[in-house]
Amino acid sequence: MMVLGVVLAAMPADAQPSRAIGRVKIATGNAFVVREGTSMPATPGLALLETDSLKTGADGRLGVSLNDDTRISLGPDSEARLSRYRYAPAEGAIALVLNFIRGAAVYASGQIAKLSPDAVRLETPAAIVGVRGTTVAVRVDPE
Amino acid sequence: MMRARAGLAVLGLTCALASGCARVGRMAVDEPQRPPQDLAVLLPDSDGTVGRATVSNASGATDLSEARAATRISRNQAPSAATVLTDADVQREFGDALSSLPPVPQSFTLYFQFESEDLTPESKALVTATLRAVKERPVPDVLVVGHTDTTGPAALNFQLALRRAQTVRTLLMAAGLEESAIAVASHGEAQPLVPTPDNTYEPRNRRVLITVR
Repeated sequence: MMVLGVVLAAMPADAQPSRAIGRVKIATGNAFVVREGTSMPATPGLALLETDSLKTGADGRLGVSLNDDTRISLGPDSEARLSRYRYAPAEGAIALVLNFIRGAAVYASGQIAKLSPDAVRLETPAAIVGVRGTTVAVRVDPE
Repeated sequence: MMRARAGLAVLGLTCALASGCARVGRMAVDEPQRPPQDLAVLLPDSDGTVGRATVSNASGATDLSEARAATRISRNQAPSAATVLTDADVQREFGDALSSLPPVPQSFTLYFQFESEDLTPESKALVTATLRAVKERPVPDVLVVGHTDTTGPAALNFQLALRRAQTVRTLLMAAGLEESAIAVASHGEAQPLVPTPDNTYEPRNRRVLITVR
Protein backbone atom coordinates (compact mmCIF):
# COMPACT_ATOMS: atom_id res chain seq x y z
CA MET A 1 0.00 0.00 0.00
CA MET A 2 2.79 2.39 0.93
CA VAL A 3 4.87 1.31 -2.09
CA LEU A 4 1.82 1.99 -4.28
CA GLY A 5 1.58 5.47 -2.79
CA VAL A 6 5.16 6.25 -3.79
CA VAL A 7 4.72 4.95 -7.34
CA LEU A 8 1.68 7.13 -7.88
CA ALA A 9 3.36 10.22 -6.47
CA ALA A 10 4.08 11.57 -9.94
CA MET A 11 0.46 12.75 -10.21
CA PRO A 12 0.20 16.51 -10.84
CA ALA A 13 -1.11 17.41 -7.42
CA ASP A 14 -0.69 21.12 -8.04
CA ALA A 15 -2.20 21.04 -11.52
CA GLN A 16 -5.27 22.99 -10.47
CA PRO A 17 -4.16 25.44 -7.80
CA SER A 18 -7.42 27.41 -8.12
CA ARG A 19 -9.28 24.51 -6.53
CA ALA A 20 -6.74 24.17 -3.72
CA ILE A 21 -8.32 24.50 -0.28
CA GLY A 22 -5.06 24.39 1.66
CA ARG A 23 -1.60 22.88 1.84
CA VAL A 24 0.38 20.30 3.70
CA LYS A 25 2.72 22.11 6.10
CA ILE A 26 4.31 19.42 8.23
CA ALA A 27 4.77 15.74 7.40
CA THR A 28 6.94 13.15 9.11
CA GLY A 29 7.12 9.37 8.70
CA ASN A 30 4.41 7.69 6.65
CA ALA A 31 1.93 10.47 5.87
CA PHE A 32 -0.38 10.43 2.87
CA VAL A 33 -3.05 12.36 1.06
CA VAL A 34 -5.69 10.10 -0.50
CA ARG A 35 -7.43 11.69 -3.49
CA GLU A 36 -10.21 9.83 -5.32
CA GLY A 37 -8.84 6.51 -4.14
CA THR A 38 -5.21 7.26 -4.97
CA SER A 39 -2.68 7.61 -2.19
CA MET A 40 0.21 10.07 -2.55
CA PRO A 41 2.95 11.02 -0.06
CA ALA A 42 2.01 14.13 1.88
CA THR A 43 5.04 16.30 1.16
CA PRO A 44 5.15 19.80 2.67
CA GLY A 45 3.70 22.25 0.16
CA LEU A 46 1.33 19.73 -1.47
CA ALA A 47 -1.98 21.40 -2.38
CA LEU A 48 -5.12 19.90 -0.85
CA LEU A 49 -8.51 19.56 -2.53
CA GLU A 50 -12.01 19.18 -1.11
CA THR A 51 -12.79 15.50 -0.32
CA ASP A 52 -9.10 14.61 0.15
CA SER A 53 -8.34 12.30 3.06
CA LEU A 54 -5.33 12.72 5.32
CA LYS A 55 -3.76 9.51 6.54
CA THR A 56 -0.78 8.49 8.66
CA GLY A 57 0.97 5.19 9.33
CA ALA A 58 2.43 3.89 12.60
CA ASP A 59 5.28 6.46 12.62
CA GLY A 60 3.48 9.20 10.71
CA ARG A 61 2.39 12.72 11.61
CA LEU A 62 0.75 15.32 9.45
CA GLY A 63 -0.12 19.00 9.79
CA VAL A 64 -2.11 21.03 7.24
CA SER A 65 -3.49 24.54 7.01
CA LEU A 66 -6.57 25.53 5.00
CA ASN A 67 -7.31 28.76 3.13
CA ASP A 68 -9.31 30.26 6.00
CA ASP A 69 -6.46 29.59 8.53
CA THR A 70 -8.07 26.45 9.90
CA ARG A 71 -5.31 24.06 10.96
CA ILE A 72 -5.59 20.29 11.30
CA SER A 73 -3.03 17.78 12.49
CA LEU A 74 -2.92 14.02 12.86
CA GLY A 75 -0.92 11.75 15.14
CA PRO A 76 0.25 8.26 14.09
CA ASP A 77 -2.20 5.66 12.68
CA SER A 78 -4.83 8.29 12.05
CA GLU A 79 -7.20 9.30 9.29
CA ALA A 80 -9.44 12.31 8.65
CA ARG A 81 -11.37 13.45 5.58
CA LEU A 82 -11.79 17.05 4.35
CA SER A 83 -15.35 16.20 3.34
CA ARG A 84 -16.65 19.66 2.53
CA TYR A 85 -14.94 23.03 2.24
CA ARG A 86 -16.33 26.37 1.03
CA TYR A 87 -14.60 29.66 1.75
CA ALA A 88 -16.05 32.39 -0.45
CA PRO A 89 -17.56 34.94 1.96
CA ALA A 90 -18.34 37.39 -0.88
CA GLU A 91 -20.69 34.78 -2.32
CA GLY A 92 -22.02 33.80 1.10
CA ALA A 93 -20.55 30.33 0.71
CA ILE A 94 -18.95 29.09 3.91
CA ALA A 95 -18.72 25.49 5.08
CA LEU A 96 -16.29 23.10 6.71
CA VAL A 97 -17.06 19.46 7.39
CA LEU A 98 -14.29 17.21 8.70
CA ASN A 99 -14.74 13.50 9.30
CA PHE A 100 -12.43 11.99 11.89
CA ILE A 101 -12.21 8.35 10.90
CA ARG A 102 -9.62 6.93 13.30
CA GLY A 103 -6.74 7.86 15.54
CA ALA A 104 -5.85 11.21 17.06
CA ALA A 105 -6.44 14.60 15.46
CA VAL A 106 -6.42 18.27 16.44
CA TYR A 107 -8.61 20.96 14.87
CA ALA A 108 -7.73 24.62 15.42
CA SER A 109 -10.39 26.98 14.12
CA GLY A 110 -9.90 29.64 11.46
CA GLN A 111 -11.96 32.35 9.77
CA ILE A 112 -14.86 30.03 8.89
CA ALA A 113 -15.58 29.34 12.56
CA LYS A 114 -15.27 33.07 13.26
CA LEU A 115 -17.65 34.14 10.47
CA SER A 116 -20.19 31.38 10.93
CA PRO A 117 -19.69 28.91 13.79
CA ASP A 118 -22.64 26.81 12.60
CA ALA A 119 -20.88 26.26 9.28
CA VAL A 120 -18.28 24.07 11.02
CA ARG A 121 -19.02 20.42 11.69
CA LEU A 122 -16.52 17.94 13.05
CA GLU A 123 -17.87 14.42 12.78
CA THR A 124 -16.69 11.25 14.49
CA PRO A 125 -18.34 7.85 14.02
CA ALA A 126 -20.31 8.40 17.24
CA ALA A 127 -20.96 12.15 17.48
CA ILE A 128 -20.84 15.58 15.92
CA VAL A 129 -18.72 18.33 17.48
CA GLY A 130 -19.95 21.88 17.05
CA VAL A 131 -17.44 24.63 17.85
CA ARG A 132 -17.45 28.21 19.01
CA GLY A 133 -14.07 29.42 17.73
CA THR A 134 -11.72 27.04 19.40
CA THR A 135 -9.27 24.18 19.38
CA VAL A 136 -10.58 20.64 19.76
CA ALA A 137 -8.73 17.35 19.96
CA VAL A 138 -10.50 14.19 18.90
CA ARG A 139 -9.54 10.54 19.22
CA VAL A 140 -11.46 7.84 17.41
CA ASP A 141 -11.00 4.20 18.41
CA PRO A 142 -10.79 1.63 15.68
CA GLU A 143 -14.05 -0.36 15.36
CA MET B 1 -15.98 -9.62 29.98
CA MET B 2 -16.24 -11.47 26.68
CA ARG B 3 -16.26 -8.10 24.97
CA ALA B 4 -13.09 -7.00 26.73
CA ARG B 5 -11.30 -10.15 25.64
CA ALA B 6 -12.37 -9.59 22.06
CA GLY B 7 -11.01 -6.04 22.29
CA LEU B 8 -7.63 -7.33 23.45
CA ALA B 9 -7.52 -9.85 20.65
CA VAL B 10 -8.09 -7.10 18.10
CA LEU B 11 -5.34 -4.97 19.61
CA GLY B 12 -3.00 -7.96 19.45
CA LEU B 13 -3.75 -8.46 15.78
CA THR B 14 -3.13 -4.80 15.06
CA CYS B 15 0.20 -5.18 16.79
CA ALA B 16 1.21 -8.10 14.62
CA LEU B 17 0.42 -6.11 11.47
CA ALA B 18 1.79 -2.73 12.37
CA SER B 19 5.25 -1.69 13.44
CA GLY B 20 4.07 0.27 16.49
CA CYS B 21 3.88 -2.77 18.79
CA ALA B 22 5.19 -1.02 21.88
CA ARG B 23 2.61 1.71 21.57
CA VAL B 24 -0.32 -0.62 20.98
CA GLY B 25 0.81 -2.84 23.85
CA ARG B 26 0.96 0.09 26.25
CA MET B 27 -2.51 1.27 25.32
CA ALA B 28 -3.85 -2.23 25.83
CA VAL B 29 -2.49 -2.23 29.40
CA ASP B 30 -3.87 1.24 30.15
CA GLU B 31 -7.38 0.72 28.83
CA PRO B 32 -7.99 -2.92 28.20
CA GLN B 33 -11.69 -3.33 28.91
CA ARG B 34 -13.87 -1.11 26.82
CA PRO B 35 -15.68 -1.09 23.50
CA PRO B 36 -14.72 1.47 20.82
CA GLN B 37 -15.11 4.94 22.18
CA ASP B 38 -14.43 8.40 20.79
CA LEU B 39 -12.88 11.13 22.88
CA ALA B 40 -13.32 14.86 22.31
CA VAL B 41 -11.34 17.43 24.30
CA LEU B 42 -11.59 21.21 24.31
CA LEU B 43 -8.15 22.83 24.27
CA PRO B 44 -7.10 26.46 24.78
CA ASP B 45 -6.36 28.39 21.60
CA SER B 46 -2.80 29.49 20.91
CA ASP B 47 -3.53 32.88 22.50
CA GLY B 48 -4.73 31.19 25.70
CA THR B 49 -8.44 31.84 25.25
CA VAL B 50 -10.84 28.93 25.64
CA GLY B 51 -13.80 28.64 23.30
CA ARG B 52 -16.72 26.27 23.53
CA ALA B 53 -17.70 23.05 21.87
CA THR B 54 -20.84 20.96 21.91
CA VAL B 55 -20.57 17.23 21.33
CA SER B 56 -23.86 15.68 20.32
CA ASN B 57 -25.50 12.65 18.77
CA ALA B 58 -28.99 11.20 18.56
CA SER B 59 -28.91 10.23 22.27
CA GLY B 60 -27.78 13.51 23.84
CA ALA B 61 -25.32 16.37 24.01
CA THR B 62 -22.46 17.54 26.24
CA ASP B 63 -21.09 21.07 26.39
CA LEU B 64 -17.36 21.58 26.79
CA SER B 65 -16.53 25.02 28.10
CA GLU B 66 -13.27 24.91 30.05
CA ALA B 67 -9.69 24.05 29.18
CA ARG B 68 -9.17 20.28 28.71
CA ALA B 69 -12.85 19.51 29.32
CA ALA B 70 -13.50 16.13 27.72
CA THR B 71 -16.30 13.79 26.85
CA ARG B 72 -16.20 10.14 25.82
CA ILE B 73 -18.69 8.83 23.34
CA SER B 74 -19.53 5.16 22.88
CA ARG B 75 -21.36 4.12 19.74
CA ASN B 76 -25.13 4.55 20.18
CA GLN B 77 -24.84 6.22 23.57
CA ALA B 78 -25.07 9.84 24.67
CA PRO B 79 -21.72 11.62 25.16
CA SER B 80 -20.52 11.22 28.78
CA ALA B 81 -20.72 14.11 31.24
CA ALA B 82 -17.74 16.45 30.86
CA THR B 83 -14.61 15.68 32.87
CA VAL B 84 -11.40 17.70 32.93
CA LEU B 85 -8.25 15.96 31.74
CA THR B 86 -4.78 16.75 33.06
CA ASP B 87 -2.04 18.18 30.84
CA ALA B 88 -0.37 14.77 31.04
CA ASP B 89 -3.55 13.07 29.74
CA VAL B 90 -3.71 15.49 26.83
CA GLN B 91 -0.03 14.95 26.01
CA ARG B 92 -0.42 11.16 26.15
CA GLU B 93 -3.45 11.14 23.85
CA PHE B 94 -2.61 14.02 21.54
CA GLY B 95 1.06 14.94 22.01
CA ASP B 96 2.05 13.68 18.55
CA ALA B 97 -0.84 15.43 16.82
CA LEU B 98 -0.30 18.68 18.76
CA SER B 99 3.39 18.73 17.86
CA SER B 100 2.43 18.58 14.16
CA LEU B 101 -0.04 21.46 14.23
CA PRO B 102 1.27 24.17 11.87
CA PRO B 103 2.20 27.50 13.51
CA VAL B 104 -0.57 30.05 13.96
CA PRO B 105 -1.01 32.13 10.81
CA GLN B 106 0.20 35.70 11.12
CA SER B 107 -1.87 38.54 9.68
CA PHE B 108 -1.05 42.05 8.48
CA THR B 109 -3.70 44.58 7.56
CA LEU B 110 -2.79 47.20 4.98
CA TYR B 111 -5.03 50.24 4.46
CA PHE B 112 -5.84 52.10 1.26
CA GLN B 113 -6.69 55.65 0.40
CA PHE B 114 -10.31 56.40 -0.59
CA GLU B 115 -11.40 54.87 -3.94
CA SER B 116 -7.76 54.30 -4.69
CA GLU B 117 -5.29 51.49 -5.18
CA ASP B 118 -2.62 53.40 -3.22
CA LEU B 119 -1.60 52.27 0.24
CA THR B 120 -1.53 54.68 3.14
CA PRO B 121 2.11 55.52 4.03
CA GLU B 122 1.98 53.61 7.37
CA SER B 123 0.83 50.50 5.54
CA LYS B 124 3.74 50.51 3.11
CA ALA B 125 6.06 49.75 6.01
CA LEU B 126 4.17 46.54 6.78
CA VAL B 127 5.35 44.97 3.54
CA THR B 128 8.79 44.50 5.15
CA ALA B 129 7.23 42.92 8.25
CA THR B 130 5.32 40.52 6.04
CA LEU B 131 8.50 39.43 4.29
CA ARG B 132 10.13 38.79 7.65
CA ALA B 133 7.24 36.55 8.73
CA VAL B 134 7.45 34.66 5.46
CA LYS B 135 11.15 33.91 5.98
CA GLU B 136 10.47 32.42 9.44
CA ARG B 137 8.28 29.62 8.07
CA PRO B 138 9.25 26.25 6.61
CA VAL B 139 6.69 26.14 3.75
CA PRO B 140 5.32 29.65 3.64
CA ASP B 141 2.33 30.64 1.63
CA VAL B 142 0.75 34.02 1.56
CA LEU B 143 -2.90 34.88 1.04
CA VAL B 144 -3.76 38.40 -0.03
CA VAL B 145 -7.45 39.33 0.31
CA GLY B 146 -8.82 42.69 -0.76
CA HIS B 147 -11.73 44.43 0.98
CA THR B 148 -13.62 47.68 0.41
CA ASP B 149 -16.06 49.77 2.38
CA THR B 150 -19.71 49.78 1.28
CA THR B 151 -19.52 53.00 -0.78
CA GLY B 152 -20.79 52.22 -4.30
CA PRO B 153 -22.16 49.07 -5.93
CA ALA B 154 -21.03 45.67 -4.62
CA ALA B 155 -19.89 44.48 -8.06
CA LEU B 156 -17.55 47.45 -8.50
CA ASN B 157 -16.28 46.97 -4.97
CA PHE B 158 -15.46 43.35 -5.75
CA GLN B 159 -13.28 44.59 -8.63
CA LEU B 160 -11.71 47.38 -6.57
CA ALA B 161 -10.88 44.95 -3.75
CA LEU B 162 -9.32 42.58 -6.29
CA ARG B 163 -7.17 45.38 -7.75
CA ARG B 164 -6.05 46.33 -4.24
CA ALA B 165 -5.04 42.75 -3.55
CA GLN B 166 -3.15 42.61 -6.85
CA THR B 167 -1.35 45.83 -5.94
CA VAL B 168 -0.18 44.23 -2.71
CA ARG B 169 0.93 41.11 -4.55
CA THR B 170 3.05 43.29 -6.85
CA LEU B 171 4.63 44.99 -3.82
CA LEU B 172 5.41 41.63 -2.19
CA MET B 173 6.97 40.33 -5.40
CA ALA B 174 9.03 43.50 -5.78
CA ALA B 175 10.26 42.86 -2.23
CA GLY B 176 11.44 39.40 -3.22
CA LEU B 177 8.55 36.99 -2.64
CA GLU B 178 7.92 34.34 -5.30
CA GLU B 179 4.65 34.65 -7.19
CA SER B 180 3.87 30.95 -6.71
CA ALA B 181 3.73 31.47 -2.93
CA ILE B 182 1.05 34.16 -3.21
CA ALA B 183 -2.69 33.63 -3.66
CA VAL B 184 -4.95 36.61 -4.33
CA ALA B 185 -8.67 36.91 -3.58
CA SER B 186 -11.38 39.55 -3.28
CA HIS B 187 -14.05 39.60 -0.62
CA GLY B 188 -15.44 42.91 -1.95
CA GLU B 189 -17.58 44.72 0.59
CA ALA B 190 -18.93 41.44 2.07
CA GLN B 191 -16.58 41.21 5.05
CA PRO B 192 -16.21 44.65 6.63
CA LEU B 193 -13.86 44.98 9.59
CA VAL B 194 -16.30 47.53 11.01
CA PRO B 195 -19.92 46.59 10.20
CA THR B 196 -21.74 49.48 8.49
CA PRO B 197 -24.95 50.07 6.49
CA ASP B 198 -24.65 50.12 2.69
CA ASN B 199 -23.00 53.16 1.08
CA THR B 200 -20.94 54.08 4.13
CA TYR B 201 -17.54 55.78 3.88
CA GLU B 202 -15.31 53.85 6.33
CA PRO B 203 -11.51 53.99 5.97
CA ARG B 204 -11.02 50.99 8.27
CA ASN B 205 -12.87 48.77 5.80
CA ARG B 206 -10.68 49.74 2.82
CA ARG B 207 -7.98 47.22 3.45
CA VAL B 208 -6.02 44.26 2.27
CA LEU B 209 -5.45 41.44 4.69
CA ILE B 210 -2.21 39.54 4.21
CA THR B 211 -2.08 36.20 5.93
CA VAL B 212 1.22 34.35 6.19
CA ARG B 213 0.81 30.63 6.82
